[in-house]
Amino acid sequence: MKNAKLKIGLIAVTSLGMMWGSAASYAAPEKRCTAGGQKVECPTVTEAEAKAASAAFLKEGADMEAGQGGSTYGIAPFDYLTGVGKRADSDTKTFKTHSGYGSDTKGSYKTELWDRVKAPKSDGVTDKSVYDQWSGNWSPTFGATLVAGADPTQGKNYYYSYCIACHGWLMHGDGPSASELDPRPRTLTRGDYMQKKTNLELFTVIKGGGEAVSLSSSMPNWGNVLQDQDIWNIVAFIRAMQDVPPPKSVTEYLNPKSTFKPIKGDVDALNASKSADFKEAQELIESEMTGRAPGSELVGGGFVEGGNRKKPTEVSVKVAK
Amino acid sequence: MQDKYKFLMVSALSMSCLMAGAAHAAKDPSLAIPAWQNAVPDGRDTPTIDPMILYSSGGVDGKMAVIGIPSFKTYRHIDCGVDTHEISFGGSNKGNKNGTPDGKYVYLNDKGANTVCEFDLQTGYLNRIIALPFPFGVHHIAMSTDGKNLFATGEYSGKMAKIDIKSGKTEVIDWGPSPSAPDYIDATRNGKYVFAGNYYHSTVGVFSTSPFKLIKEIPVGKNPHGTDINPESTMVVVSDKLSATMTVIDVDKLAVKKVLPTCAGPLHSVMDVYNKDGGSYRAGIDSPDGLTSKYVYESCFVADANVKVSYAKLEVVDEIPTHYRTGHISISPDNSYVMALNKFSTGLFSPTGIVFPVNFEMWDAREKSPTYGKTLRIMPVDGEPHNAKGLMAYLIKDWTKGQAEQGGLITGTTELLDPPHRAHARRWFIPKETTPPGVKTVDGVKEVHMKAFSYGYIPRQVRVNKGDKVRLFGTNIDKASGITKNPDVTMGLTIYGPYGQRSNMDLPRGVTSVHEFTADIAGEYEIFCTHFCGPLHLEMRAAFFVDDPKKGPSNLAVGDYDKAQTLPGLLEGGALTIAERVKGL
Repeated sequence: MKNAKLKIGLIAVTSLGMMWGSAASYAAPEKRCTAGGQKVECPTVTEAEAKAASAAFLKEGADMEAGQGGSTYGIAPFDYLTGVGKRADSDTKTFKTHSGYGSDTKGSYKTELWDRVKAPKSDGVTDKSVYDQWSGNWSPTFGATLVAGADPTQGKNYYYSYCIACHGWLMHGDGPSASELDPRPRTLTRGDYMQKKTNLELFTVIKGGGEAVSLSSSMPNWGNVLQDQDIWNIVAFIRAMQDVPPPKSVTEYLNPKSTFKPIKGDVDALNASKSADFKEAQELIESEMTGRAPGSELVGGGFVEGGNRKKPTEVSVKVAK
Repeated sequence: MQDKYKFLMVSALSMSCLMAGAAHAAKDPSLAIPAWQNAVPDGRDTPTIDPMILYSSGGVDGKMAVIGIPSFKTYRHIDCGVDTHEISFGGSNKGNKNGTPDGKYVYLNDKGANTVCEFDLQTGYLNRIIALPFPFGVHHIAMSTDGKNLFATGEYSGKMAKIDIKSGKTEVIDWGPSPSAPDYIDATRNGKYVFAGNYYHSTVGVFSTSPFKLIKEIPVGKNPHGTDINPESTMVVVSDKLSATMTVIDVDKLAVKKVLPTCAGPLHSVMDVYNKDGGSYRAGIDSPDGLTSKYVYESCFVADANVKVSYAKLEVVDEIPTHYRTGHISISPDNSYVMALNKFSTGLFSPTGIVFPVNFEMWDAREKSPTYGKTLRIMPVDGEPHNAKGLMAYLIKDWTKGQAEQGGLITGTTELLDPPHRAHARRWFIPKETTPPGVKTVDGVKEVHMKAFSYGYIPRQVRVNKGDKVRLFGTNIDKASGITKNPDVTMGLTIYGPYGQRSNMDLPRGVTSVHEFTADIAGEYEIFCTHFCGPLHLEMRAAFFVDDPKKGPSNLAVGDYDKAQTLPGLLEGGALTIAERVKGL
């Protein structure tokens, strides 16, 4: 993990070190979790690892405030002539800044986030579209899916927004808030555990929260924020990252190799509407959900096109062979 | 040497090779502060009589602030309620976001109390509170073209409303399916349509104004926020927060015209406005018809910037850095200045309490000015303002020397609501607690332990029974704001409606906030975050269910919603207009 070439956006490389492959040190002897119908130990990072990840994030915040690590914070004092944070060009008569945008070709002083991190040339990455400028991160796009009717690339976008705080950038359960939670968040990449969890179980816990599966309320119910199809997309992203270790290069990071094999007879986004099990789970979750008013338009489980969301039958990403 | 000063020195030194204009500061670091404080030695830009006035919603302080432009001096704060959000001038919505104020009233919606506050611009007092029907959860309001109605979004219920300002009569319609969160709203300047973003649908809904109904949903980028219409009413610009794009909607075709990449975390837009002759629009002097706009300015939360988009080209033509994390954005009525309403001031000001102030930053938008694109003023502000709008100061007459005895100011009895609320709650801080999240009963009291993180609450749903004494513990477990990493992250926790004033918590890092009150009104009331804590602040939601054992579990259809509308604990007497729910307006 000391690869100097690896500048994955704003990811805290420090927080990833030593997080992988330490299954032997998991300190949760209580078998609270269920996988394949068996009670098993919950896959999490250790308390020490979670604390280290929190501390690393805290340091990143402090570094940003001090203008270190690529941050533009604190670098520019307030200056009448040059503006805050914006560099003056050589025109000392007007001190007018040329931004480099639009028809202004004199300057190249674009300062926004997507210009702060450039593709490392040494890794040969030329496709700038893979830089997720919103989350400040390089991230993979997926040409195939392991969950029919669901798009892992769309799911990734929501994962990076909603899930990273606890489950971490690489799904190891080491997000900055992980150390504050007991029980700690699951490591979502562990194949020995995840391969036994059905899509229905994953969908249920994301939509209905930990309480929907009689586990910790620390896992919130996301069904009051996300539509069903968004949740299916996240399930597809989780499946696409099974057993993916911390990458050693940007190229490797952009091409994760999942070990997940679809479980026979499992529910997916495409066939969920025909599944009695899915219907039963949905009814249970929806009856507890906020923002509902029975007998009115305000019922859940619907579909609205928007935000690049596609109906399961219209998701163009094909199932991996 | 204190870190702060060391930092200023380093800052100044690092600038010397970058900035010609900062050379004097580099020679002597102690001059770094005076250099920006005294922007113009002759003081022309710091007048004591301001040509323009900015009205700002105070957010979590429940007030409206009155600020001078360009002096950036705060004149006063006027109380309203719990968590104020959107400013809308009485008169007409013609023009840009500032509209065409008639100088009589300004409206401010209170998200925490589910009300609209009406202020008299001439007396400078809160005049009336319109209590909206429950469940609703008003996020934003927009003035109609004829000035008779306000349109409102019900973020916490998936509902939309049309309010008759005079009588308070309100038409409420559902906008399903759930999850549904209508948030920002604007109305065309010809009285025809209302456009509102639906944050969870990732669409923009088009509503006819009469009859008031949804006629179309237009898919846009992920999680749209700002939905703003140009003065010509030909285009709606939508800030697609999670897609980093601006979706431009053609109003004639009710279809997407263009999607352009703008910046990371776009949130809101404002635009300039010109009269028929090409001069800046003067409300009350120029005709409000035939107004045009050249540029739209969009705030970019994650990118720490405002971008300038040309309406003619529909592309980004400039980008201005801001400090830091701009949420809403405002423009002066004369188009000269853009005000970035920044949600973080990381490292900028002297601390004055456990909650670090947010700030307003005014930059010069005059293209021919030598200081174009530069920050002219930056000020710490009270509360956590959501939006601000400006009017020309000539619209406010001078009544301060007894002129009212000649008439023209008030007619008959005018209620004064100042202050309009009492807490009806006990509140205190304790050292940061580590009790697991959830509800437990201790000595007959329902203790609700909630954790706030970037971005959400745990638990997400809380159920208590009607009549329960509730002790609410709120703890911020963040290390820094998620994604943007600002370490000075403060969360809030407010249960909207009848519990608004009783639960209005600040959750700074390092301590636990405790509020104690009685859950005496049944219903489903959303819990939301009152401090803009990061790009996914809007996702900071949970629900507080108060179940009446006689009626069964509460939901949006079951609850003591009539009683909630009387706002016990918020108001004691005064001019409260109970907005009667009607079928059609």
